[in-house]
Amino acid sequence: MQSKPMAGRLPEPPSPIADDGDETRFCGTCAFSSACIAAGYDKPELAELQCLVEHVGPFRAGEHIFRTGDPFRAIFAVRAGTVKTRMVDKDGREQVLGFYLPGEVIGLNAIYPEHFPCDAVALDTTYFCRFSFPAMSALASRIPAVQQHLFRMLSKELGTASLLAGDHSADERVAAFLMDLASRYAVRGFSATRFHLSMSRGDIANYLRLAAETVSRVLSRFRSQQLIEIEGRELELLNPKKLREIGQALLPE
Amino acid sequence: MAIPITPPEFDPALIARYDVAGPRYTSYPTAPHFKAEFDEAALRAVIRASNEEPIPRPLSVYVHVPFCMSPCFYCGCNRVITRDVTQADRYLERLYREIELIAPLFDRDRPVRQLHFGGGTPNFLDTAHMGELLESLARHFSFSHAADREYGIEIDPRFADAAYIRAMGELGFNRISVGIQDFDPVVQKAVNRIQSFEQTREVIDAARASGFRSASVDLIYGLPFQSVDGFSRTLDQVVALNPDRVAVYGYAHLPEMFKAQRQIDAADLPDAATRLALFGRALEHLSAAGYVYIGMDHFAKASDELVLAQRAGTLQRNFQGYSTHGDCDIVGLGVSAIGRIGDSYSQNARDLIGYYAALDAGRLPLMRGLQLDEDDLIRRELINELMCHGSVDKQAFGARHRLLFDEYFARERQRLLPLVEDGLATENPREIRVTSRGRLLLRIIAMCFDAYLDDAAQAPRYSRVI
Repeated sequence: MQSKPMAGRLPEPPSPIADDGDETRFCGTCAFSSACIAAGYDKPELAELQCLVEHVGPFRAGEHIFRTGDPFRAIFAVRAGTVKTRMVDKDGREQVLGFYLPGEVIGLNAIYPEHFPCDAVALDTTYFCRFSFPAMSALASRIPAVQQHLFRMLSKELGTASLLAGDHSADERVAAFLMDLASRYAVRGFSATRFHLSMSRGDIANYLRLAAETVSRVLSRFRSQQLIEIEGRELELLNPKKLREIGQALLPE
Repeated sequence: MAIPITPPEFDPALIARYDVAGPRYTSYPTAPHFKAEFDEAALRAVIRASNEEPIPRPLSVYVHVPFCMSPCFYCGCNRVITRDVTQADRYLERLYREIELIAPLFDRDRPVRQLHFGGGTPNFLDTAHMGELLESLARHFSFSHAADREYGIEIDPRFADAAYIRAMGELGFNRISVGIQDFDPVVQKAVNRIQSFEQTREVIDAARASGFRSASVDLIYGLPFQSVDGFSRTLDQVVALNPDRVAVYGYAHLPEMFKAQRQIDAADLPDAATRLALFGRALEHLSAAGYVYIGMDHFAKASDELVLAQRAGTLQRNFQGYSTHGDCDIVGLGVSAIGRIGDSYSQNARDLIGYYAALDAGRLPLMRGLQLDEDDLIRRELINELMCHGSVDKQAFGARHRLLFDEYFARERQRLLPLVEDGLATENPREIRVTSRGRLLLRIIAMCFDAYLDDAAQAPRYSRVI
């Protein structure tokens, strides 16, 4: 057997992985850290409030984090990897509802019905912080900043869905999709122009209500127009300004 | 960025010194390292993943037709000698089953940009069978209608006439590859392949008249009774045929591996010096006639796509040698065919018994394969760069793969050192570059970076480098 040399390998690039927290500190991309810290609550104080943050995972590609109808007990913040949420209708047709990147939270749409109204499926190897929801709401009632943060996340979640409403061209949808991902990565401190598309083209197409071949055709066109460079799943936005213009109608101001 | 093509320098003494066995790197890792653990489930998974890329790669379909009417004694290909044309029906029945099983696994928006029929002898199949086979392929795959599609077929001119070639053109083939080896009657007799210049010309002329865009021919040096004078006459005749590409392969005498070669008496083979002189003459002759040396065994006219791709830095190795369609996923159909999908290789059963048994049981006829790991991918790209473009920019390469080139390849650079001292390559902090002296010894240079070659047991499986 040949030996596979590892000398000379450079460390992983700053990839979208939020795993720098420990017993006393939040991860850099934690959805709640800024709200809690701003209110003077650090991790040890939260622990005293029984608001334990539990690390769960890894989930492998294709594994469920929760399923439609599961009782709602917790929300999950993505630490590493990518997740899709989806519904499957009675004919077995899938509808992709959204994609979640490191630092983002899944399960918020279960707060009212108290059952998860969708499935959450890992698209690659994913890790989470699990926030027990009873503890979280108790915390929210004590720390207004946390409550505000929850509300903000909820309204953002509602806003995302409307991104896809209306009658828009495939070019507009795909451009808006790429720019939306770019801005979400940027918010978490990752590169806004180079990222890995963990989702399959089928999932992207389903989410954008387009045919898979249409997604590829639009991406090919963007590539030939030198708006993007794409190699396998590695994407580079060469002309974000132009892409933003194309997707303008679907993007927030 | 235009890459200058360094003309090779022919130094017999130097080449003789490096005359050892080595892989041709039509794949990396090479086929002997494929594993049975790469099974049907693994293949289905890589195909599924390949469909789900943002822009799935187009397809290159290879179809292997294993039959030959008569044995050429030099042959090391996977083939079955028969004159029983009903064998074709039995084979095609399974081939159709394979197409029906594998084609639906690929999304329909992936055009077949490249199609290649190899063998054996593809023209063992008559026009009717060919029509049926093309129809099946077109029904199950999405044939490209782009002008730059490359649909090629290997032809044995002894068993094809102008009408057959016209029919192939009508079926959509636009490239033809013709085996010649040597026109010298003494050599032809010794290798059991009697093929006249006229037969060969008829096929190539018919291809041109039928709208084929490209014709290539294969020659072999190192065959029994070959002489420099005789080979020179062959080269004159080849130049007169005006092919777009010429491949000049070195004969590898491995009778313990290839039964047909036992018909060749080792005593009749040209000695090492003559062998080299034969290749030297081919190089000289073809260069004088306006052909550019691409690398390894391949020459092409200066206007050919291979030359343009080499200059543009987009040339790739593939199983047929060099290719301008390296961005395709390769689907290998037929006995022993090799596919390359995503970061994997897969090979079909190598004998008809295994191939038929799998398909009769409704399974893909996969025998072995390999999912490349990160190190494999890094080395594959490096070897490809060296063999196609003759240089590697260490900084850019390192940045692309997140490695410190000089450290990651510390051992390999040690192995390269004597080659640098012999003037085959140069190395500085920026790049490794193959010199004109090294152009004819690409395999030797590439071998320095092959992580599997430490395993000495593999050595006898490869032919000598020149």
